Amino acid sequence: MVRLTLFLAVLLMASAISLVTVRFQTRELFVASERLKSHAHELDAEWRRLQLERAELARNARIDSLARTDLHLVSVTPDRTIYLQQPEPAVTEARP
Amino acid sequence: MKRFGFHESPVLAGRPAFWRARLVVIVLMLGFVALAVKALNLQILSNEFLQRQGERRYERTLVLQASRGKILDRSGSVVLASSVPARAIWAIPEDFHKATEAQVADLARLLGVKPAELRQRTQDEDKNFVYLQRQVSADKAKAIQQLKIPGIQQLAETRRFYPEGEVMAHVVGFTNIEDRGIEGIELAFNDRLSGQPGSRRVIRDRLGRVVEDVQAVVPPVDGQNLQLSIDAGIQFDTYTALKAAMKEHQARAAAAIVLDARSGEILAMVNLPSYDPNDTAERTGQALRNRVVTDTFEPGSIMKPFTAALALDEGIITTHTQFDTGNGRYSYQGAVISDVSRNGVLDVGGIIQRSSNIGMTMISEKLSSQSMWETFSALGFGRVPQTHFPGMASGRLRPWQRWRPIERATMAYGYGLSVSLLQVAHAYTVFARNGDMVSLSLLRREGQPTSVQVYSPQIALLMRGMLEAAAGPDGAKRAQVQGYRVAGKSGTARKIVNGQYSKTKYRGSFVGLAPVSDPRIVVAVSIDEPGAGGYYGGRVAAPVFSDIVSSTLRRLGVRPDAPVDSLVAVAEQGGRTQ
Repeated sequence: MVRLTLFLAVLLMASAISLVTVRFQTRELFVASERLKSHAHELDAEWRRLQLERAELARNARIDSLARTDLHLVSVTPDRTIYLQQPEPAVTEARP
Repeated sequence: MKRFGFHESPVLAGRPAFWRARLVVIVLMLGFVALAVKALNLQILSNEFLQRQGERRYERTLVLQASRGKILDRSGSVVLASSVPARAIWAIPEDFHKATEAQVADLARLLGVKPAELRQRTQDEDKNFVYLQRQVSADKAKAIQQLKIPGIQQLAETRRFYPEGEVMAHVVGFTNIEDRGIEGIELAFNDRLSGQPGSRRVIRDRLGRVVEDVQAVVPPVDGQNLQLSIDAGIQFDTYTALKAAMKEHQARAAAAIVLDARSGEILAMVNLPSYDPNDTAERTGQALRNRVVTDTFEPGSIMKPFTAALALDEGIITTHTQFDTGNGRYSYQGAVISDVSRNGVLDVGGIIQRSSNIGMTMISEKLSSQSMWETFSALGFGRVPQTHFPGMASGRLRPWQRWRPIERATMAYGYGLSVSLLQVAHAYTVFARNGDMVSLSLLRREGQPTSVQVYSPQIALLMRGMLEAAAGPDGAKRAQVQGYRVAGKSGTARKIVNGQYSKTKYRGSFVGLAPVSDPRIVVAVSIDEPGAGGYYGGRVAAPVFSDIVSSTLRRLGVRPDAPVDSLVAVAEQGGRTQ
């Protein structure tokens, strides 16, 4: 009888301690997951910012003025273009 | 010292009154009852209230902001509008007063305002929340945070950014400070773009860190991205061509639209004067007007092909029917109708090419008002276009029962009704297609568009030929494009000033399609009140049409259908040149 009581008491203690540990781990993992989430959020914002920066750099007005003034490029005209006959008759057009 | 036994103690000699013992017991009992009542009160009766109070002290509901969807061009790779995180800077005036002069000066420099203004705005100590500036960029906000000024706080916000600026301004529109669409696509598709904010209930610890979720998290639903039918490249070319023309002719305003004749998609839509949607101060007045869709005007000669096509379609006239337009003046129903020049005897092709008002009057005499009204209605005039966009104007087309006889003639050559540039371009798709009018779209279209048959295919083909002649060497030759056959009609309409047709204010326009052999695009250009270098549509608007067509067809990769003298020699194995 005494043995059983002792055994149960030890079991109870072990369970109580494990409960505390698990609770502690939960909190710790929760904090970690929160941190990762906010990191993901930051990265997303950063990605949006970079995408906009790219859009800013690739802006048509900017490219156009760079090409025309700095690089002295001119638009192609049909008389300077070689039009190749496409071998397959089925293909009608292609978008660049 | 004398010693007693307990019971001999003199204190016990006089027996105390029994009631005193009772009193003590009763008081003690009352004490316990009071405790029990309090416990009952706390644990059971006001339990809910107290628990709520407790929760209010450590539980918080966080709002999870949904981000607004992006607006992309038809390729999906060019961002036209996107939200970036920003911060609102606000102050608690009472605490802010403790800030040193140097700190305030630093803050003022970062916010771009005067230090005195900051002080003045935070004068009222009774307030405990004053916005200093909203939508401050993330970098600036970080710098402000590092100043560690007392009483300065920040709030997370988003800021809408439009990389293409004034080129796309009227199409995309803009949002207000609360992230709601106010103009353009931002307004038309506000529901799809704005997401559904989520929420989560959390427990926070003493330091404000989130410790635990109390309930299941409601995740935010981000707004959908929108892919427009607009092509950023074509839009830019159109903008540049229009801007150059507006400068050259010192015009008050200008507008142009490019439609894909096959799919009905709007490839470009430009209005001038324009504004930079990123700059809130610029978003006022005339510049905001999307003239392509909201402004209606008397179209003038660009209406003529529709009347001529109707007469041909009904079989009332043939391409060989001759009309004697005389010496350029013609009395009709008590009014005098005049042409710019004397044209003599013309057939219908000649009437279109020479843009003869008298010829159109003679054609209209053979038509009934009802059939003209029905055709114009079918072409979309007098009705709001079926495209989801704010501010679409319906124009004005009075019911045929109320037309006076003279009006049937003026309608035939484009006076007495009003239309928007979008409606005209839309109606011209009947000539670019097989007499059917395609439905328009501002969003990229998957699948086949619907269309309504207005004229028979043969008539559309016939009219295309006449319009090609009208844009040919004897017509508006400035509309011609190297390498491509174009067809179109110029129009010069007098503007109404104080109820009378002005002799100095005009609107020059040109509507056309290209390439004629297999039309891909319809382009409409309108120059409002040109001040220098002519005012005829064939003079001011046609060159813009030509520029837009040549760059658009190049971007679309359309093969030239007109002979070109090639400047490049090609080796035999390279294939055949055209």
